[in-house]
Order: sequence, then C-alpha cells, then structure tokens
Amino acid sequence: MNNLINDLYQEIILDHGREPRNFGECEPHNKSADGHNPLCGDNLKLTFLLNDQNIIEDIKFTGEGCAISLASASLMTEKLKGKKIEVAQEIFKDFTNLVSGSDEDLKVLNEEDSLYALKGVGRFPMRVKCATMAWHAFNQALKD
Amino acid sequence: MDDSKTLNLNVRKDFPILSKKILEKKDLIYFDTAASAQKPNTVIDETNDFYKNHYSNVSRGVHTLSVESTFRYEDARKKVQKFLNARSENEIIFTKSATEGINLVAQTFYEKFMQKGDEVILSLIEHHSNLIPWFFLRDKYGVVLKFANIQPSGEIDIDHFNSLFTNKTKIVSLTHLSNVFGTELNEKAISICKDKNVPILLDGCQSAAHLKIDVQKLGCDFFVFSGHKTYGPAGIGVLYGTENLLSEMPPYQGGGGMIGDVSLEGASYAELPAKYEAGTPPLVEAHGLGIAIDYMNKIGLDNIIEHENEITKYAFNKLNEIDFIEIHGGDNKRNSIISFNIKNVHSHEVSSFLDVEGIAIRAGHHCCQPLMKHLGVNSTARLSFGVYNSLEEVDKFVIALHKCKEFFNK
Repeated sequence: MNNLINDLYQEIILDHGREPRNFGECEPHNKSADGHNPLCGDNLKLTFLLNDQNIIEDIKFTGEGCAISLASASLMTEKLKGKKIEVAQEIFKDFTNLVSGSDEDLKVLNEEDSLYALKGVGRFPMRVKCATMAWHAFNQALKD
Repeated sequence: MDDSKTLNLNVRKDFPILSKKILEKKDLIYFDTAASAQKPNTVIDETNDFYKNHYSNVSRGVHTLSVESTFRYEDARKKVQKFLNARSENEIIFTKSATEGINLVAQTFYEKFMQKGDEVILSLIEHHSNLIPWFFLRDKYGVVLKFANIQPSGEIDIDHFNSLFTNKTKIVSLTHLSNVFGTELNEKAISICKDKNVPILLDGCQSAAHLKIDVQKLGCDFFVFSGHKTYGPAGIGVLYGTENLLSEMPPYQGGGGMIGDVSLEGASYAELPAKYEAGTPPLVEAHGLGIAIDYMNKIGLDNIIEHENEITKYAFNKLNEIDFIEIHGGDNKRNSIISFNIKNVHSHEVSSFLDVEGIAIRAGHHCCQPLMKHLGVNSTARLSFGVYNSLEEVDKFVIALHKCKEFFNK
C-alpha cells in the first residue's frame, strides 16, 4: 500500500473514524455550534460546558461525515477536555497550521500528540475542510 | 469492444492532460467528466490563437481585429445552432454558464408571464442550479413551487408529475439527464407540457455532450448547457429559447451591446440575440465552445455516445457484481453516469484513496442535497465518462475499489 494513503489514514484516524469518542450531546452545556461543509454535506453539532474558571469541563459532538472529519472531531474533544480556554485556542491555531501544511512553528502541539496523526491531510488540500470542520465549530462557539 | 478500443486509442492523444502523472506518478484515469470535461488540443490551441492573433471586442468596432473577433463569436453561435438544431441563430443566447441561463429564464419569464401565486413544477432530482433560481421567485414574489417525485429507478414519477398541474402552472423546469443517476428524462414529461400548453425548460448540462440534442424534436421551449461540460472552456454557457418567448420576455441585464438606441430619457433594446447579451461576452470562450463542437462532430456524436454507452454498461455490470457496492438508482439505461457507495465507507475516503491511484471521481452531494436526503445518504461517489475513457480504465478502477474496501475495513 502506498505511503500517501497510509499517512492520510493512520490507524488512530481509522479507529476514531469508526468509533468516535465523546459522541453525543453534552448535558448540561453552555456553548454550542454547528459545523457544516456545504461542499460535501458533512455536518456536526458541538456542545461543551465551560466552567467559571474558563475550563472546558466536558465536550461532545454528534454528526455525520467522513473518517477524517469524525476522527478530527473525536480527537479534538479528547484533547480539549479539561483545558483552559486560552490553551484550547492555542491548540486550535496549531492544529489549523498543522493540517493546512503551513510551516509555521507549532507552539503547543508536537509529534507525540495524537492530533499529529492528521498532518497527512496537508497533502490533500480538498480534505483540509474535513479536518477543520469541528475546530471551526469550536471557534465559532467561543465567539457566540 | 474492439471498436471502442480503437476509438479510444485515437482520441486519448488529443487530450494533453491525460498524460499527466498524479501524486505518486500514477497514470491519470479521469472519471469526472460530469463535473467538467477535459479539453482537446484543438480547443486549447484555438483559444490561444484567438488571443494571439485575432483578439478585440465584438460587435463594437470597424477595425480588422474587431471584425475577426466578431466573426469568430458569431460563427460559434452558428455552430451551436446546428448542434442543437435550433431554427435560428436568434434562438441561441450566450451566457457565462448554464446556471446563468436558468436564472435569466426564471427572472425574465416571471416578469412577463407570472404573478404571485402562480406555480412552477420542478423535480426532486434537480441540481441546485435548477432549484435556487426558482427559490428566488418563491421568496421574492410568492411563486409556488411543486416538486415531482422520483421512482426507485431514479426517473421522474410521470403520474405524480402529471398530477401537479393546475391552471396556475406557468412553467416547468427539469433536468434532461440526471447528474446523479445518469437517467434520461422520460419524453412523456415533455409531451404532457405540450398538451397542457405549459413551456418547459430542459437543463441539458449532462445531456449536451452525451445525447444527440434536437430541440425541435424534443419540443422544449428552453434548453441550457455549459461549454465546460462539452469539452469547451469554462465561462461560456448557452441558452436556447424559442424566438416567440425570447422576443416577448424582457431583457435580463442592462448594459452595452443589448441596446437599440439610448437617450437620457430611456432606451430601446437590441433584437435577438443581442438583447440578452449585455456587456462584453465571453467571446474567446464562445469560440472555444464552437471548436469543441467541431471536435465532437469530427469524431461523430453517434460514435461518442455508442462508446460511452458501452463503457457505462460495462462499468455498471462490473459494479453490480460486487457485493460491497451499492449503486443508486435502478438497472435501467444510464448515460455516462453511475453513482454508488462502498458500504460503510464514506465517499470522501473512496475518492481520496482512488486519487492516490490516479483515478479522479466525484464525491459529495453533487449539488443535489434534496435528492441525497431522499436517498438517505449524505454523499455518494460518482463515476462519469467521456470520449477519452476506456474499458481498461474501468478494470483498473474495479481493482482499486477492492483495495479501497480492504483498506478501510481491515
């Protein structure tokens, strides 16, 4: 099997795509946003609970999409749960750089991170939107 | 089988892009002609030549280049007229896209012939470009839209379609060839419109290069198609309309080229077809479309259709044998298009996997979200064929599909 496909679909991505973690709706929640990729019809709903210390206490998502979008959403919820909002925003920036093939130095993410598995998406520009859909929903929820 | 292989061998070299290597140096297999067709050398060279040797604006000057440009632009119109078998060049309007053609008809037909509460009949399988222009009429003017159901085969349910007509039905707009199922519109739909004296627009985006079009025989009142799906450039579309209707409807956009006489108090409008062509038109693209039509005529549209039908049937039978493949629509005849899913694998995965194998297919909702909802899927993979494809490519595709299934269900 060729390398590009193995890079794009690392085992952890296939795993999270098949069995997304934190799948469902967060109850109670005080933040939510819908993610939608109008070009392909994939969609998700993200809900999370931000406590009074600005820490993401719980975070979940539902929706339908390809393995990349589901795995990215699943890995995002795992990564962001328990994080302070400022840290989460740094992770958001790093992640969007990582998957869009940007050479910008990563500040908080490194090769040890499970999210690093999505780096292969950078070689498939049309799939970047799949990988960032959940993240943009997260960012949107913070603005609302 | 031998014939199609011979035909195929002869035309592949006409398309320079087919020698491109994809990602990991794979030969390109282009199965996305329904999204946009590749361009033969003649179209590429002739549009280049237009810019290099003949370019100026059309219908506006008297100098040599203006004459050469105008000649090429109007010559393209003649070629399109023959291609569609329209009665007159006045019935051929150049637009920037098929989409613009539908918007033009929706807006100007409404203005002349409709009012609040009047009805338009569409169907569930329409492309967004044949939905949204009519949604605008519903939202802005209170026009009522009705949608014909489809049968499991992917064809319009003619009885249901027939039942939608009332004395308020003013126009019908349907796809001539479904961009999801590849099924051709039942001719009965057109004859029903004729019987009821309701004009019908056919969206010919998918049919223009894959069926023989004769607008007089079809009996449609409007027909739109785009240059880029018929081996021509993007940025050029065609609206055919009967001279009666086009004469009665008002202009669409105002600007240069569409006027008769202008004073500060008002203006009169040009005769057809200039009346609907405000502003400098996509003249080079129109010429490119004319060259694409020459190209199809040279090979012979009958040969192209026969070739594509053979490949489509071959691919359908191959896919139908595979238990993990779900084909959308029935086993009725399809023209150059097959939509399918690998069970439990999202179409994006299929498309990315095949991309690395050098195979370009479409994945997504195909601008048919209402239909996707009806099918209960959020996206499908779609194969679509053109003059340059071969049975051998289908074989390679089927092998890649098996690898894909194995990879994602390991």
